[in-house]
Amino acid sequence: MINSILRYGLIVVLLMLLQILVLNNIQFSGFVNPYVYIMIILILPSIIPAWLILIISFLTGLIIDLFSGSPGMHASATLLAGFSRPFVLRLIAPRDGYESGSDLSMAVYGFRWFFIYAATIVLIHHTTLFFLEVFRFADFFRTIFRILVSSLFTIGFILLIEYYRKGK
Amino acid sequence: MRNLLNFLLKYINIIVFLFLEGIALYWLTNGNSYHNSIVVKGMQGVTKGLEERISNARSYLSLREINANLVSENSALRNRIERLTAREDLRFVSVEDSLFRQQFQYTTARVINNSVNRQKNYLTIDKGTLQGLKVDMAVTNGKDVVGVIVGCSGNFSVAISLLNLDFRLSARIRSNGYFGSLSWDGRNYRHAVLNEIPQHINVSEGDTIETTGYSAIFPEGAGIGTVSEVRKSGSDFYKITIELFTDFKKLQYVNVIGNLKRTEQLQLENQLQ
Repeated sequence: MINSILRYGLIVVLLMLLQILVLNNIQFSGFVNPYVYIMIILILPSIIPAWLILIISFLTGLIIDLFSGSPGMHASATLLAGFSRPFVLRLIAPRDGYESGSDLSMAVYGFRWFFIYAATIVLIHHTTLFFLEVFRFADFFRTIFRILVSSLFTIGFILLIEYYRKGK
Repeated sequence: MRNLLNFLLKYINIIVFLFLEGIALYWLTNGNSYHNSIVVKGMQGVTKGLEERISNARSYLSLREINANLVSENSALRNRIERLTAREDLRFVSVEDSLFRQQFQYTTARVINNSVNRQKNYLTIDKGTLQGLKVDMAVTNGKDVVGVIVGCSGNFSVAISLLNLDFRLSARIRSNGYFGSLSWDGRNYRHAVLNEIPQHINVSEGDTIETTGYSAIFPEGAGIGTVSEVRKSGSDFYKITIELFTDFKKLQYVNVIGNLKRTEQLQLENQLQ
């Protein structure tokens, strides 16, 4: 128990640092902004109650907001992602349901399941985030394009990290 | 009572969600002009320290280029001094000139946080009120437009970047003097858009766009960019795409320009309105 909390804490810190120090600074062509920190919400153990997930999501978004100087955008987008997590999990549940207390990881439930899970949450998060950022519906399709391109990169990063996390 | 408790327990998730989302959206809608946001202001002390370290490490990577820029600017300034001093007879007399008053003050600052990939970009520089900076001062890169300061703390200032959907600047075509409104359309960090230029004017690619100085923030004639594409839109106005002089992606040092006569101008203008 203590061990898994420590390991999870380490992943959280690493993901935050990756986001703040590296990914917030790449600024590639103005279209690609991967927000990999959303993985913190993805891999929270399934035993954590929903209200605690909400609070963790909010705090995660808040920290990212403070470091990227954006008022409340990441907080509200991450919160929505955290809120929709139980519904997404129920929607894509494997045939035998979830084993209680198991890690929500690629190692346990397979690549296909994890890919659908990650893609759904990332799309929810990025859609909210990018529309809150422009705060207007002008240039609707360009925003959609930005969402898709950035989501693609975020999902790629998450799958890559998850692949290596599996080795532990 | 028991019913109430049961109700709360049943809907605890939605209640927590709505409560926190309310906080976030309240912050988003009220703090969007950045300098108003109290939370950001309060946390700036914590995050700025880290940002400054990151920018310190990054600035090493482009020292060569900065040196080259400084050398070229030095030689330009030396040439100017040469021209000016030759005209005066090099006498050691100082004259109190009551007709001439300096209008603009210049200082330099280092960029410690910057972005080009968002729709509303801001940049943070390492000087603030303690160094004499104030809100509504102009930020330039050499002689080229970068942004306008919107918030100051003791040692830091936040400037709204030209690459921000909320940024507006009055700009004109250098060759014929017609002015329009410059803004960024959020597409490409190298391009901005000049609107409100009527279609009976000749505009050609490569024309220089500069500031008008009407806003009393930028000095007149500061460079913005060159025309890269002219399109006729449905209305009576051109839609002119401008390639910016300033490359925001490699911005390291900026000049901050204060207009000493700004308050006087604004006072007069407000009186007459």
